[in-house]
Amino acid sequence: MSSQDLQGYRSGQPAQLADVLERVLDKGIVIAGDIKINLLDIELLTVKIRLLIASADKAREMGIDWWQNDPFLSGRNGHDRLEKRLQALEEKAGLPTSKDES
Amino acid sequence: MSAAPAAGSDEFGWYLYGVVAAGAALDDLAAVPAVDREYPVELVVEGSLSGVTSRVSTAEFDEAALPGRLGDAAWLEQKIRAHEQVLENVLSSATVLPCRFCTVYHDQADLRRFLAECESALVAALDRISDRVELGVKAFVDSERFASSAGTRSEKIRELSERVSQAEGGRAYLETRQIERLVADELARFRQEAAPQLHERLLNAADEGVLLAPQRPEVSGREEEMLLNGAYLVPDRTRFEHALADLARERRGEGIELELTGPWPPYNFVPEELGS
Repeated sequence: MSSQDLQGYRSGQPAQLADVLERVLDKGIVIAGDIKINLLDIELLTVKIRLLIASADKAREMGIDWWQNDPFLSGRNGHDRLEKRLQALEEKAGLPTSKDES
Repeated sequence: MSAAPAAGSDEFGWYLYGVVAAGAALDDLAAVPAVDREYPVELVVEGSLSGVTSRVSTAEFDEAALPGRLGDAAWLEQKIRAHEQVLENVLSSATVLPCRFCTVYHDQADLRRFLAECESALVAALDRISDRVELGVKAFVDSERFASSAGTRSEKIRELSERVSQAEGGRAYLETRQIERLVADELARFRQEAAPQLHERLLNAADEGVLLAPQRPEVSGREEEMLLNGAYLVPDRTRFEHALADLARERRGEGIELELTGPWPPYNFVPEELGS
């Protein structure tokens, strides 16, 4: 239903992937404990997606296109490497980071 | 479709999409495929609450498999969309408290324990969003349309434009540049002011609202700059849509375009952590 002229605004259907991502990955109830999935993985994705959505220049500087082309997301990274890269991303983005490491 | 070692493994976990009141009259839950298409979406009732859940193969969703899976963009998109569609199906007939992606329990007893232990916090959270939906509103500014209408709003720009139309040569050039600078300043101020103004107006037709980070063009899929990316908890959808239509008409002349998304499960209006 895109009766834009009648209602004066657009209706975004079907939902854009970015709108779904910023909700499903970043919002909603987080249940701590008793879960088998390591939430760190989701946290990493979330930080990345926040960066991508909010900060074009930083994302480009880091060579991140959009999550599909992103080497960071292209699998087979061990947790240690993921954590290091997360810290690097946080530092570059000027976000508070848990540890000092480079 | 995927390279997963599909059947054969009889190991499964319980994926939790969200929580509804136990008495909720839900439409056909199985109408929408689950994140693991091998299993149907079902309800697990515990006390006054029901978990909207489905079984998932541990070959795909356990600690060992998941990190690699999350790196697979096609897998991720499919699962994230499935998560969302299951919740949207529930949302069409009930109030639902959405969980974050990949909330998985080892077995049903763990899921039930969570529902029992957090019952009061979950009930309070459900109460806040009861009979409400989340609607998203994005505002974009068409900077060309803004520039062409700037002269009608700024006295100074109007005067200069008139003078330029009569001036010639170097003088006209300088004054044209000056107009461009003034328009750029106006646009900068407009960017600062427009989002809070729009947000405030939309809040009048909502219970609550939050501002999300505006998306850049590669993400939004639109060339125009996004000024506002808001989410609103709305009790009366028709009233909200009327408010939005009024706003769109009022501000169209300045180059503002509004876009409505949703209804969404109220992701932005649930507590992140539950104090049990």
